[in-house]
Amino acid sequence: MNQLEILKMKKILTLLLAAVSTVTFAQFDTHMASAKSEYSKGNLEASRFAMQQMMTELDIQIGKEILTMLPTKFDALAANTKNDNVTANTGITGCLIHRDYGTEAKDARIEIMSNSPLVASINAILAIPFMGNSGDGTQKVVKVAGYKSILQKSVDTETNKENYTLQIPLSSTLLTLYADDSNEAEILKWANTIPVDKIAKMVQ
Amino acid sequence: MKQPLIILFCGLLTYQVQGQALLNKMKQKAEQAADRAIDKKLSGKQNGSNSSGGTSTTTGPGGASSGSTGNNPSNKGGGGLISTPPDVKQNLADAEASYKTKNYGEARYAVQQAMLGVEMEIGNNILKSLPETVSSLPKEEEADQVTSTGYGWAGLTIHREYYKDDKELRVTIANNSAWMSAYNMYLSNSGYSQTTGGEQQFKQIKVKGHKGIIEYSESSGYKISVAVGQSSLIMWEGINFASEPEMMKAAEAFDIDGIKKQLGEQ
Repeated sequence: MNQLEILKMKKILTLLLAAVSTVTFAQFDTHMASAKSEYSKGNLEASRFAMQQMMTELDIQIGKEILTMLPTKFDALAANTKNDNVTANTGITGCLIHRDYGTEAKDARIEIMSNSPLVASINAILAIPFMGNSGDGTQKVVKVAGYKSILQKSVDTETNKENYTLQIPLSSTLLTLYADDSNEAEILKWANTIPVDKIAKMVQ
Repeated sequence: MKQPLIILFCGLLTYQVQGQALLNKMKQKAEQAADRAIDKKLSGKQNGSNSSGGTSTTTGPGGASSGSTGNNPSNKGGGGLISTPPDVKQNLADAEASYKTKNYGEARYAVQQAMLGVEMEIGNNILKSLPETVSSLPKEEEADQVTSTGYGWAGLTIHREYYKDDKELRVTIANNSAWMSAYNMYLSNSGYSQTTGGEQQFKQIKVKGHKGIIEYSESSGYKISVAVGQSSLIMWEGINFASEPEMMKAAEAFDIDGIKKQLGEQ
């Protein structure tokens, strides 16, 4: 491939990306125009439907913004950005943001779920001092970027490897970091590289 | 040697008991004097502000009654919260502006508020379209209620009550997927199927061509649930209705197709 072809490819890609982003913005604008005009005409249900569409788009947009904030690697584990995913349900569980790191033997992943049904029970555990820490060391309360969180450990009975789950409730959103074949110090170190405060502001 | 010691001990004990009694008496006297002084001051204040006086309750700051247990005022009223729904047009404009400046969180909040406003309007319009009287029961104006969370999928509930003497009809219109799942559970559960033996407590019916179920319980009366479109449900609860036909007639007094249309259901 010569220099000219590479330049052409770059141009095509840039135009394609610009078109994709324009479509996203145009859709929001279309829904906004539809919501306004239907409301003016007194078609309340049609206006409401357009607003629901806008909510879905906003959820996806927020999810994409959050993905750009997440760390691109956890030590040696690089982010598999091709697996990045934002699902806007506009349903009971709200928006789901996913990113994973590394390969199967040792990997990690972040799941952020808005309107998570688990938040209430996690907050209940965090609110009662003796509930959060288990005697066998499988669960403890930790702080990540000032946010109280629950760290859970499970041991694979076959391989004896330790898998960790860290749950950070942010208002009605739940940020969960999973780390397989890891240790407590490692998962906490990784968790502290996540801009929790900025994410909390985005999802509020 | 023992005797003087016992006498000395008894003497000390008596002195201590007497001392204690004296102290208690002094304390009591001081408390009484303080109470009298406070009463005098407060009654003086009361007479100043309210010439009728003579009551045992005292008035705390802000004109609230404090009673005899403490000085914290109790609330006498404040008019409640303003129930005006959010301004849809303003919120849509805010959402547009926030979106353009990439404040997606703010934009989302504004759209949610606009949606809340629209849902409240839809609910109020449906309330207006409901009959004023059903089976000679007039509506209870104060019981009219529209509830919305502004999320669009689980939010809108419209409630009205009709009441006279010991007879009551409650109607609830829910645009809510969670309720629909409960309704579908009814239809798919064989335990709720129609039986010929024993007491019939459940059966499938049609109200103005819409599939539904009717239930009867000795303690709570009749209940009709009708699915409207994909995600809405109308429920009627009748207390002291004489028979199933009477309850059915009450449900048929409602314009189900009109409600369906207003909810945007197919």
